[in-house]
Amino acid sequence: MSAEEKVYQVDLLTRVEGEGSFYLRVREGVVEEARLSIFEAPRFFEALLRGRSMFEVPDIVARICGICPVAYQMSALAAIEGALGVAPSPEVRALRRLLYCGEWIESHALHVFLLHAPDFLGYPSAVEMAKDHRAVVERGLSLKKAGNALIALLGGRAIHPVSPRVGGFSKVPRRRELLGLRDALQRGLDSALEAVRWTASLPVPDFEQDYVFVALAGGDAYPLESGDRIAVSGRADVPVADFETHFVEEQVPHSNALACRLADGTPYLCGPMSRVNHHADKLHPLAAAALREHGPPLPVRNPYRSIVVRAIEIVHAFAEALDGIDAYVEPERPFVEVTARAAIGAGATEAPRGLLWHRYQLGADGLVVDARIVPPTSQNQARIEEDLRGVAPALLALPHEAATRRCEQLIRAYDPCISCATHFLRLRIDRAGEEVPS
Amino acid sequence: MLALAHAELGRLFDALHAEGYRVIGPTVRSAAIVYEELDGPADLPVGWTDEQAPGRYRLVRRDDDAAFGYVVGPHTWKAHLFPPRERLFQARRRPDGRVGFDPVLPDEPPTAFLGVRACEVAAMEVQDRVFLEGPHAEPRYAARRRQAFLVGVSCLEAGQLCFCASTSTGPRVDHGVDLAMAELPGAYLFEAGTERGRAVLDRLSARPATAEERRHLDEGIERARGQMGRTLATNGLPELLFGNLDHPRWAAVAERCLACGNCTSVCPTCFCSSAHEESDLTGDDAARVRTWDSCFSLEHAEIHGVNVRPTVEDRYRQWLTHKVGSWVSQFGVSGCVGCGRCIAWCPVGIDLTEELAAIRADAAAPAPMPVRQAPAAATDDALVPRAAVVIGVTRESADVVTLHLACDPPLALRPGQFTMLSLPGLGEAAISVSGTWGDAFEQTIRDVGAVSGALSALRPGQQLGIRGPYGNGWPLDAARGRPVVVIAGGIGLAPLRGAIRFLLEHPLDYPDVRLVYGTRTPDDILFGHEMLGWASRPGFRMAITVDRADLSWRGDVGVVTRLLRREPLSPEATYLMCGPEVMMRFAVEALTAAGVPSDHLYLAMERHMKCAAGFCGRCQYGPFFVCKDGPIFRHDQVARLFGREGF
Amino acid sequence: MAAATRPRLGVFKLASCDGCQLTLLDCEDELLAVAGAVDIVRFSEASSRPDDGQPFDLTLVEGSVSAPEHVEQIHRLRARSKRLVTIGACANAGGIQALRNWVDAEEVMRVVYARPDYIRSLATSTPISAHVPVDFELRGCPIAREQLLELITAMLTGRRPALRDESVCMECKRRGNVCVTVATGEPCLGPVTHTGCGALCPSYDRGCYGCFGPRERASTGSLAAWFLAQGMVPAEALRRFRGINGWSEAFRKESERHER
Repeated sequence: MSAEEKVYQVDLLTRVEGEGSFYLRVREGVVEEARLSIFEAPRFFEALLRGRSMFEVPDIVARICGICPVAYQMSALAAIEGALGVAPSPEVRALRRLLYCGEWIESHALHVFLLHAPDFLGYPSAVEMAKDHRAVVERGLSLKKAGNALIALLGGRAIHPVSPRVGGFSKVPRRRELLGLRDALQRGLDSALEAVRWTASLPVPDFEQDYVFVALAGGDAYPLESGDRIAVSGRADVPVADFETHFVEEQVPHSNALACRLADGTPYLCGPMSRVNHHADKLHPLAAAALREHGPPLPVRNPYRSIVVRAIEIVHAFAEALDGIDAYVEPERPFVEVTARAAIGAGATEAPRGLLWHRYQLGADGLVVDARIVPPTSQNQARIEEDLRGVAPALLALPHEAATRRCEQLIRAYDPCISCATHFLRLRIDRAGEEVPS
Repeated sequence: MLALAHAELGRLFDALHAEGYRVIGPTVRSAAIVYEELDGPADLPVGWTDEQAPGRYRLVRRDDDAAFGYVVGPHTWKAHLFPPRERLFQARRRPDGRVGFDPVLPDEPPTAFLGVRACEVAAMEVQDRVFLEGPHAEPRYAARRRQAFLVGVSCLEAGQLCFCASTSTGPRVDHGVDLAMAELPGAYLFEAGTERGRAVLDRLSARPATAEERRHLDEGIERARGQMGRTLATNGLPELLFGNLDHPRWAAVAERCLACGNCTSVCPTCFCSSAHEESDLTGDDAARVRTWDSCFSLEHAEIHGVNVRPTVEDRYRQWLTHKVGSWVSQFGVSGCVGCGRCIAWCPVGIDLTEELAAIRADAAAPAPMPVRQAPAAATDDALVPRAAVVIGVTRESADVVTLHLACDPPLALRPGQFTMLSLPGLGEAAISVSGTWGDAFEQTIRDVGAVSGALSALRPGQQLGIRGPYGNGWPLDAARGRPVVVIAGGIGLAPLRGAIRFLLEHPLDYPDVRLVYGTRTPDDILFGHEMLGWASRPGFRMAITVDRADLSWRGDVGVVTRLLRREPLSPEATYLMCGPEVMMRFAVEALTAAGVPSDHLYLAMERHMKCAAGFCGRCQYGPFFVCKDGPIFRHDQVARLFGREGF
Repeated sequence: MAAATRPRLGVFKLASCDGCQLTLLDCEDELLAVAGAVDIVRFSEASSRPDDGQPFDLTLVEGSVSAPEHVEQIHRLRARSKRLVTIGACANAGGIQALRNWVDAEEVMRVVYARPDYIRSLATSTPISAHVPVDFELRGCPIAREQLLELITAMLTGRRPALRDESVCMECKRRGNVCVTVATGEPCLGPVTHTGCGALCPSYDRGCYGCFGPRERASTGSLAAWFLAQGMVPAEALRRFRGINGWSEAFRKESERHER
């Protein structure tokens, strides 16, 4: 290594979900290599789903991620129900949105307070941070707890809920059970507003990139559990069913995760920043007010500011959840009956980390013939590497240790969920010469 | 007998509410009729009935508006008298080693049970014998039972799985309730059973029942009696089952049985429980919690890592031989009230009436069963410990320690008894009393796990929790005037030490005392110094053997039974034995071969215990509870089971 | 307890979804107290504190052995752990990803994707106990928060953890649930599945699908026979036992009995 060459690397990223590393090499001010390596072992979910009953899909895909299992269940159900022409009742759909609010709260609170905030104040962990900022950490934990309580009531448990099923839910709550959560959610909303103020006060490096923002669209609501189109900044909306034509996955040597880019090779960004840039007008009034008062001006293009955007989305989720509870009407039946038939369908929802797209081919026997899943972190991989390239000039002015920390803080801004990202290797199994399409 | 029209049933709820009761009764939920709190008659399962078959329960619409037109569902009233989960006490441990225990007692509001079937009244009366008869009464059950207002409902239709006619537990509710009801198509009939029942009845503004209504009731009950879906020949069942413990049917049913515990959970008389400690991270603030358990569970029969009922066959046989067999010896009545729940709610539809009929059809000779007399019950809360203090510690060997303890008021102890020693947040263990010294007493502990290890580490001045004493003690009176041979293996010498001291203190009554003692190595010999003192007494002889030793050991090497064969074994003598069960088995064989009668042999049995007070059911040994009928048994009492697997 | 003598805890992950590690973070009310009572030395999901290479008093490992480096990693962890506890179905039984174990390894190697040499994966996903001795298995998918706290509390207080090995049915009945199988015909693995979830699925009107793995004495044969007698086709019986804990011995043997 010559004097003009600098290498920044972390062999095992911490405070991210899953196993990854990064490597950035800069020589004389020019980035020679920027790599986000994901070496988390693949679990081959798409292969596992083949031959399983469609009714087992929500239970299985939940296991793709322990932090956002609801997202996987909801995207899968959107795709399967779309394929079969099943339309759950409005009351059931409202419940699914409520469940998803719970997950946004839990996942964003986890990220903001336990994973990301320590970077802004120079602590190795939230536990260390609590020694000096106990109230802040306790607030984060109580926000997370409220989100978990909502998921647990509707879904049975916070991680890998058991009640979502094709056609609806196995059981729906009584109105008084939901109302029982009201106080905790109201307190959560107040805490979340405080969290926006607090995250907005954190010191943030100056760094902006020219992103292509991608988010679910369609309908009047802030994108969450439903949408039939995908908004792409500067381009036409893409129908969810046409995802694969416009977004292309590619395997790279340094990663167990497939990277996804636009068909022309452009990296793109999905997640909270994309959502707020496309759909700020659909934020709940309380979240919109928080954005106006404390949030970055739109469009927000600084990934280090995503922590504030997540806090705003937590406010939005609490506010929607409270409205949802007050408006709750117990569905007449928790689920509609579903008849199996051969069909293909795609569906997408907004996981806390971004767009999550599923596609299933079902047989007439109700078994899965083929499954395709594109998670948000796969889609953000290429963009993370671009950002590492982009931030390189700013690093040269910093001491090496601090620069490395700055890179980690940048990667963490994406809230990467690496275990999700790595299951998508396609197993193409040739049985006795039979061609199985991949 | 009074009557109300169907539309007037709301008055019953009003009356019960006015008397201060909340009402728990039948309602439809989750595709079954369950017992939950009811606001009024609209909550009752009007127009529903249950169709039941082995492993199958379906709610079906009736073509009338009967509110009680079903038999029994998966819920029992036992859940309200003996809850599935209950905190027994809170415990504290201070930094200075002091401990404190505060009982937790029931605090439910006064409750009326509406819709109690005759078989369910019978079941409560069975559980009364378990929880309220001696030697200890369970105050929580007693409080709930006393307070519960029972509205019984006679059955005018029997179910597909009912056999209360066979067990003589129904279908008419004619005793044991505050208010007895029956539902006719045109009216509800009421009779008061108690003063407080009368108080409720008086509020109903009901008219007298007509003679025709009374006749319809009697006819309905007779019809139900004749409609039973199942029958069970109950005569001689205990003797039949205990005479057929090797019947091939046990293996056959074990192929199907899932050992899932559903039958024991839905049974209104099953009472087995477990207990565990819950605490904060430090363990200084703790609670003991009791939960429903089952003889089908793994830990039910586990002691020191050994399981006496490892196979499904062992467990099914234990359940059924207990339910309709040894239960009679224990409590004077059968444990089965003919409700059929275990048949419906078995996920694979095992039907005990079918199993019992199959055994009866092809049975070996019946076995005699003991008859038990219940002693008067103490009324203190046997489940909450008191504090005892350590006044001294003697290390006996590498893994054995004797604690010298005192508590206030002092315990009245007999050699052979035991206590339950505990530490807050840690757990409890049954430990033998190994001697007394004035008001103080000695308990000898072997370190085999978390609890015994922690107890062994206590120091003078520290406190621990104590419950007891429990158990029956060695038969020192019966042994008077005859030679006594004490046979001990390993830690088994500890519960015998008190007896030996007593025998040696009364040489005129016991002129010939011998000790035969075996242990692992010379370093494991307990009470060695004290033994030297014994050896110097006239009329006392001792023979010791070890399993293995180095050359410095001059004594015998080998098992206790080898030593025994060298001793003159007088049929006249009384033999007191305590040690590993396998040792006692071989000793019994040797003694029996030498002509010693079975009723001269006494064994100290050991089984897993959670309560030691006769409630948790774990220490059962056929018809006996080791905690209250033992731990010392005369061999002829237990000869049929001793040495047999699965008990 | 003086800070110097706090037990040292390490939390690690092999191939899994992260849900079991997250369960520790989901003990929101207790987390800071636990972090005070126990020295959380290494927990890379939640902390950037570097591994100091010293032994642990308690090591919690989530995830199955699924890649070559996992084999080495788990041996190293075992060597430096006084107590090694595997948490969750992946660590205890290979997880849902163990379903690939039934695919012929030969076929897997003929996978056609762009560059197979880019991927390092074992043909099988196996439990940690297949590689090193394990001191305790905390079951679940995910593990239950209360049980994790009990495990940690038991270690701190010195008691045996109050974690029972019994059927889900026992907990279902304690909760007062109505059996979904008996009352509606819905198949349920409760009778053969280890308790710990609080009888969750039947409480939500669906059948248990075996997240906590087989209990001791799991009589899967009898239960499967009952399912088939009620009209289930063998292919479905196979799928029911070949789920989250499909590779655990009792469930594996049962699912294989129904292969065509």
